[in-house]
Amino acid sequence: MVTATVRRWGLVAAGIVFAAWIPAFFDFSLHGLATNAAVTALLALSLVLLTGFVGQVSFCQYSFAALGAFTVGSLVVGHGVSFWLAALLGTAFAGVGGVLVGIPALRLRGLLLAVLTVAVALFVDVFVLTPGTWDGLTNGSTAWTNIGYPSFLGRQLESYTFYLFALGVFLLAALLVWNMRNGKTGRVLRAVRDSEVASSTLGLNVAAWKLAAFGVSAALAGLAGALKAVADASVAGGSQSAYSFQYSVALVASITVFGAGSIFSAAVAGFFIIFAPQALDMTPLSHQWFPLILGVILIVQLVFNPEGVVVKAEHDVAHALRAAAARRRGVAGPPASEAA
Amino acid sequence: MALLEIRGVGKRFGGVQALQDVSATVHRGEIVGLIGPNGAGKTTLFNCISGVESPDAGRITYDGRDLAGMSPHGRARLGIARTFQNLQLFGSMTVLENCMVAFDAFARRGMVGDALRMPWARFEERRARERAQAMLHFLDIERVAGLRAQDLPTGVQRRVELARALCLRPALLLLDEPAAGLDADETAELAGFLRSARDRLEVSMLLVDHDMSLVMRVCDHITVLDFGRVIASGDAPAIRSDPVVITAYLGEAA
Repeated sequence: MVTATVRRWGLVAAGIVFAAWIPAFFDFSLHGLATNAAVTALLALSLVLLTGFVGQVSFCQYSFAALGAFTVGSLVVGHGVSFWLAALLGTAFAGVGGVLVGIPALRLRGLLLAVLTVAVALFVDVFVLTPGTWDGLTNGSTAWTNIGYPSFLGRQLESYTFYLFALGVFLLAALLVWNMRNGKTGRVLRAVRDSEVASSTLGLNVAAWKLAAFGVSAALAGLAGALKAVADASVAGGSQSAYSFQYSVALVASITVFGAGSIFSAAVAGFFIIFAPQALDMTPLSHQWFPLILGVILIVQLVFNPEGVVVKAEHDVAHALRAAAARRRGVAGPPASEAA
Repeated sequence: MALLEIRGVGKRFGGVQALQDVSATVHRGEIVGLIGPNGAGKTTLFNCISGVESPDAGRITYDGRDLAGMSPHGRARLGIARTFQNLQLFGSMTVLENCMVAFDAFARRGMVGDALRMPWARFEERRARERAQAMLHFLDIERVAGLRAQDLPTGVQRRVELARALCLRPALLLLDEPAAGLDADETAELAGFLRSARDRLEVSMLLVDHDMSLVMRVCDHITVLDFGRVIASGDAPAIRSDPVVITAYLGEAA
């Protein structure tokens, strides 16, 4: 007997196989895009943890990613440190950065918290990512190029295998976040989101849990940045920076469109943010239209389907699978499907 | 023996003296009623006891320990639970999950144990589920265990909040208008649950309510507040016939 749960995980497994396999038929430039999609999915996942679970907004996830990326760039290229150690340090720095941003955020909610994270993002854009800021530390270099692929378990990675590695990191992180959501952590974070005062009078240290969520979320973003530095082979500040505020906004918009409460929507958002502009280039429009189109989609979606596209689709698929399983057992499907 | 002692507590919000020199005592095994008109300072006193607000003056001791400066979660861990006048359920979560949260603060496992699905995390999860289910059974709301809290009618939501607070296995339970929005039958049922919770779970209670049928029925001792001050204190018959209380609160009809 095939249950709805098994079929659902079957769909997920099929999706993973396709995601891993299809890029093998293309060249390195698509591998780079695919790696960026996995990295962006990891960033979206960090936002799912923060926004979907605890209800905190963040417009500075790419700033946390920049901490990871700049750590990798400066240590690997500038000082010859191994990628693995640099990635670990970058993840840790970003996590610490998240906790630091989380401290003032403890007293803020909603709009004011959004404004705080915008301020953090603009600060990182204007101060940290601006050429010249770190001259003393980096011997005058404001961009690190030729960041090579690391080797993994004694095997030198190249464009496709590094994509597989990035995909694996995303899937592992998604699994861990999934487990957290289904355990005590997810329950406590949702409790904090729904009522802080009730959570505290039930013995939960609300401030500690929120800081932990900020820290873990920022650490995931930092890890994504560390991978992105390798995927792009370079890290640069200034006007070409791939970590500026506008990307954080697109990330928030996308995760809102697909549904901030779902881990699947993180994967979809990663794919969408990277490949939708590419698809636009094949039309008479160009990728420059992407922010405008994303904005329109966001407005339409908020009006008609505020819980998010992927969350809605998950419900529909789960419903259809249960109905199919019920029909096979010879039982009438749920009343909703018989309404006609 | 006194479980909770409130001595000379005062609290001011801007120009309003919400509490002034309020004293009250809850002994072990007692249900103490706290009544008074709206704005008399009852919820403010609850907030001072549970640590949501801190008093400007006076002392609150619990089990011989001064609570001053202690966080709300610290007090909860000592065994002080509360319900809320304006319900504070976790609306998007099921009734069972609402109750399971009360065990989470005491669980040893954290994010890492959850993420890796360690055996102890799964063990504690199962134990919390069983205990929460037992409490729902005790309050006769097992049938709504899987429903989302925000989808329930007010009467059931009040019962869920009571169940969640009792899941903390408190020694002291602060009940802020538990009968608000309940009909006469539900209120009578609530009175029964409160008495059996006191007797079987050994919970002492401080109860605020406007519903005199509930207060007079379950309370061993009643304190009356008006404009932030204690105007009377005694057992139910004494309060019912106190002329000061009748003028300020109960009215001639009582």
